Amino acid sequence: MSENILVIGGGPAGLNAAIMLSELGVNVALVERDSFLGGNPKKFKYKFLFPDMQPADNVIGELIKKAESGGNIKVYYSSEVSDFKENGKKFDAVIKSASGSETKTFDSVIVATGFEHFDPARDAKYSYQLFDDVIDIKDLERMMGENNFVRPSNGKPPKKVAFILCVGSRDRHVGNQYCSRVCCTVSVKQAIEMREHFPDCEAYIFYMDIRTYGFFEDLYWKAMEEHDVQIVKGRIAEITSGPDNTVVCKGEDTLLRGPFEIPFDMVVLASGMEGGPQSPEISSKLGIELDEHGFLKPENVTLSPFKSNKPGVFLAGACTGPKAISDSITEGAAAAMNAYTYAVKNR
Amino acid sequence: MEYDENGVSIVPADLKKEIFEEARKDFRYEEYVRGCLNCGVCTGGCPPHRFFDFSPRIVLQKMKSKDPELIWTMMDEYVWACFQCFTCAMICPFLNSPGGVIAILREIAVRRGFESAKKVLKPYSRVLLKLTAYGNQLSPDMIQPDFFPDWGPHIGYASTDLSVKRKAIPMPTLQVTNLAWDVAPETMKELYDIFDEAGVFKIIESVDPSLYEIIQDIVDDVRSS
Ligand SMILES: Cc1cc2nc3c(=O)[nH]c(=O)nc-3n(C[C@H](O)[C@H](O)[C@H](O)COP(=O)(O)OP(=O)(O)OC[C@H]3O[C@@H](n4cnc5c(N)ncnc54)[C@H](O)[C@@H]3O)c2cc1C
Ligand code: SF4
Ligand code: SF4
Ligand code: SF4
Repeated sequence: MSENILVIGGGPAGLNAAIMLSELGVNVALVERDSFLGGNPKKFKYKFLFPDMQPADNVIGELIKKAESGGNIKVYYSSEVSDFKENGKKFDAVIKSASGSETKTFDSVIVATGFEHFDPARDAKYSYQLFDDVIDIKDLERMMGENNFVRPSNGKPPKKVAFILCVGSRDRHVGNQYCSRVCCTVSVKQAIEMREHFPDCEAYIFYMDIRTYGFFEDLYWKAMEEHDVQIVKGRIAEITSGPDNTVVCKGEDTLLRGPFEIPFDMVVLASGMEGGPQSPEISSKLGIELDEHGFLKPENVTLSPFKSNKPGVFLAGACTGPKAISDSITEGAAAAMNAYTYAVKNR
Repeated sequence: MEYDENGVSIVPADLKKEIFEEARKDFRYEEYVRGCLNCGVCTGGCPPHRFFDFSPRIVLQKMKSKDPELIWTMMDEYVWACFQCFTCAMICPFLNSPGGVIAILREIAVRRGFESAKKVLKPYSRVLLKLTAYGNQLSPDMIQPDFFPDWGPHIGYASTDLSVKRKAIPMPTLQVTNLAWDVAPETMKELYDIFDEAGVFKIIESVDPSLYEIIQDIVDDVRSS
């Protein structure tokens, strides 16, 4: 008799966990609240991925294909775990979907419920939703993905675009003190992408610190050296409207200009990652801990980042904090290994 | 007062150290000075930054440096450029209050009767007099159309026949023109006790000795009445 393992969340982390388990012969129930698999990269139609600008489809499409064709994976679309109880060392879960509810017993569980994009409307100084030409990185990913890179206000191609870093991150006013890790690299990548496809359009990046950690630094250098992206040190204090249908970024260039007010055709806010409403929900439903940043809390952040505080419940991907797709995929595999070991031990 | 080539007043190093210690011991210091990301958001939102070479980021950075020399460079003119609007405190991602730091430094300058404080407070002697002697700030007879153009088109009319107009207010305490409202002597005495306790009179004595004498005459009169 083979093991039964529940995977909650069908993003990169959950998908890879399900695929690995399926290859081990485990019966996997993959519960996804959306009507499709692929998580945030799919939902917001990310087109090219950092660090190597490969088409997102190479990664996300590949994972989805494997998961959907893997014989041992049963995917529950538009569904959720509505009830969850411990049953000795095993777990009884009710999976609720459009076609009704199903109760099953699982040997172990992997939580891969991911993140939500910070909603920039929560920080009034950026005037998101007030001015059409102020968008955020996920909006731009989608625009690029749909080959529709134009100013929302008039449908014309922009000539000058600002990228503003750390929106919704590293700011106590919005309640997020942490760094979202990927937004520097995403913004640099987007600026390069924009300069490649629309060479007439100038790109400015306003930063407080550029955190293109590790090898992602290559993109940062490339942005300056090959694509003439302007990098300005200073966090934006306010976005207002300017003459000729422009949006004006106001701030202090702490190195060069001092005070500035620069008009742009379009502003892209690098909104960060948050634990979203799903993290506290899953935390209370499964009885696992939430951390002080609003993400799920690993038992030991260094020794066992893929374990929750509850034996038999494992964690993978951005549900434990901001990270890149490669890390999420790695954690999916680590959680799969641990969930499998737990299941086999308690058979 | 002598100044160095950067326009900073020359004082002994010990005084600079004292000033820094005094600021650091202020009960608000810990709340106002946390860490600083050097991000410039405070400065970007600071109104005077558009008109003067003034930056709340620099204020916070200098304070964080704990270098008495650097902090002293702000004591002559720099701290007086701030509008005390506290936009900086509202938007700083670290929840610092550069405007609050300025308040602490200004209070030190005033308490110690520094030249800069005397100069800045000079135009306010009438307000200071009304405030400390009578507990009032603006009084009807201070309303002169030339000084208050921003009070709208009826300011001219409002400033004439004051005593008649004030008599029309059905509140006896408001029927005066040399004060915003008539203050009972018991209230004034209580106020003086508060100012005494809080050191307000002492501060006025150090920044404006002649104003202090005028105020004290009134205080003595009221106290002995
Ligand atoms: C704008 C942007 C661009 C990025 N670009 C890159 C890039 O180029 N390269 C890169 O390496 N990384 C990139 N990242 C990071 C990448 O998006 C994440 O690392 C990755 O999506 C995390 O995968 P995940 O599976 O943990 O979470 P998610 O992608 O968030 O997937 C979680 C899934 O769980 C589902 N779910 C949530 N709650 C429940 C529930 N209660 N029940 C059932 N299902 C649930 C969700 O619907 C979702 O499908 C980017 C991030 C941002 C913000
Ligand atoms: S990754 Fe960059 S933009 Fe994102 S929060 Fe960290 S420093 Fe800010
Ligand atoms: S309180 Fe002072 S330093 Fe702060 S924003 Fe206002 S004027 Fe600038
Ligand atoms: S806004 Fe706050 S953190 Fe940023 S420079 Fe000003 S004081 Fe420092």
